[in-house]
Amino acid sequence: MTKQEISLEEFQKFREFFYRKTGIQFDDNKRYFVDKRLIERIEATQSDSFRNYFTTLRFQTSGEELQQLTNLMTVNETYFFREDYQFKCLVESMLPAVCANKKPGTRLRIWSIPSSSGEEPYSIAIYLIEHWPQIADWDVELISSDIDTDILQKARQGVYSPRSVQHVSPLLLDRYFKKQKSGDFQICNDLRDSVEFTRVNLSEVSDTRPYRNFDVIFCRNLLIYFDDLSRRKAAEVFYDALNPGGFVCLGHSESMSRITSLFNVKKFPEAIVYQKPEQK
Amino acid sequence: MGFVKISATDISTDDQRHNDRSYLGLLDSLQSTDEMTRRWAARDLAAFPQASAALMEQLTQEPDRSVREAIFVSLTQIGDQIAVDGLITCLRSEVVNLRNDAIEAMKLMPDAVAPMMQGLLHDSDPDIRIFAVNILESLRHPKVESWLIDVITTDPHLNVCATALDLLAEVGSQQAIEPLQQLKQKFADEPFVQFAIDIALTRIQGA
Repeated sequence: MTKQEISLEEFQKFREFFYRKTGIQFDDNKRYFVDKRLIERIEATQSDSFRNYFTTLRFQTSGEELQQLTNLMTVNETYFFREDYQFKCLVESMLPAVCANKKPGTRLRIWSIPSSSGEEPYSIAIYLIEHWPQIADWDVELISSDIDTDILQKARQGVYSPRSVQHVSPLLLDRYFKKQKSGDFQICNDLRDSVEFTRVNLSEVSDTRPYRNFDVIFCRNLLIYFDDLSRRKAAEVFYDALNPGGFVCLGHSESMSRITSLFNVKKFPEAIVYQKPEQK
Repeated sequence: MGFVKISATDISTDDQRHNDRSYLGLLDSLQSTDEMTRRWAARDLAAFPQASAALMEQLTQEPDRSVREAIFVSLTQIGDQIAVDGLITCLRSEVVNLRNDAIEAMKLMPDAVAPMMQGLLHDSDPDIRIFAVNILESLRHPKVESWLIDVITTDPHLNVCATALDLLAEVGSQQAIEPLQQLKQKFADEPFVQFAIDIALTRIQGA
């Protein structure tokens, strides 16, 4: 097989298609990144040209190849305080809106899915303690779920590499983590006790049925890995899991408007999130 | 105050699904006056392949948008002939939301929709033919390009051909070149079509 190359027209054609399917936009300066992965998949699928590969990508009924490529094009890495503008939005905009409609003394419920190894739910917990003094007046339930039981176990243990905590300030590291002999950091027991980790398959109705009465859901960088129908089903789950007026936060490249019209787009100063309509 | 933890076995604090979740119980719930009860019934009925007729019937009279969305997702999951026929009926509806949601649902059902596509693309109503091309926009099926070529070759309607042309610019291959050149002759007096064909040809030949 001759060495594949991606022409500018092919890059542009792929870029438009991929944006429409996933919401992920590649600028011209990502050309090398995109070409490299496209060529990798063209060779892996033994397609003899970009055109043949694109046909598979575009029309394959199972959508399997698009999924493979999406996995390659996205960086599957998580760390503490990733996309933290949404946590700022949580304390400065979403929680004030939610609390305004709640009776004092009732609980706030936050769902973080997928939990992965726990970086996101623990980040939320730390952010609330550090930046939301009203936590003294409210009971907050923080539930985090994942389909993978091994990763849930890891999340419960709460041990992280220096890379994972690279965006945590020394002050917060000292306050909430314990350095281990190995050089890793373990989250403190109080925070480990603050999050309930559960196993959930978002595509399984019987799994998701008990998840209700949430005020805020974080589901970031997960739906890009789903096919269209699974995305719609996930949106249905979130709609039923939220209280009226509750919010969903997606990853920066994801858009609920491309999945369903069930939610209203809410533009806060810190972030764009999606709101379940208030009760009629 | 602060963080509180509840047992994983008690995630839901207020289970409102007291109604019977059997097939007959769900059909009953689908008629409830409470929209949330209808919505949950619609979602749970996805597990019952025989539910498509009841879901379709409810869809045409359902006033609540969120319930309609749940019905569409369940119909897409069931994906049988009754569901497809029902969705095609929605394409003829004067209710814009219903029509658009039907198009979105049908995009997700390539295997079920494919056998109907030829008929839709040759429907006597040009609007239906345009909606059929709209479905092709995201339909994952190997025949999409040949259907589009058939449209620009045989359809006499300018707007139908223009809609197909837009999509061919994205998905067209070498086999679309000659039909596109013929389309230039068919709509020789339409500058917009000439312009769009030139773009499509440039993209196809450059790729």
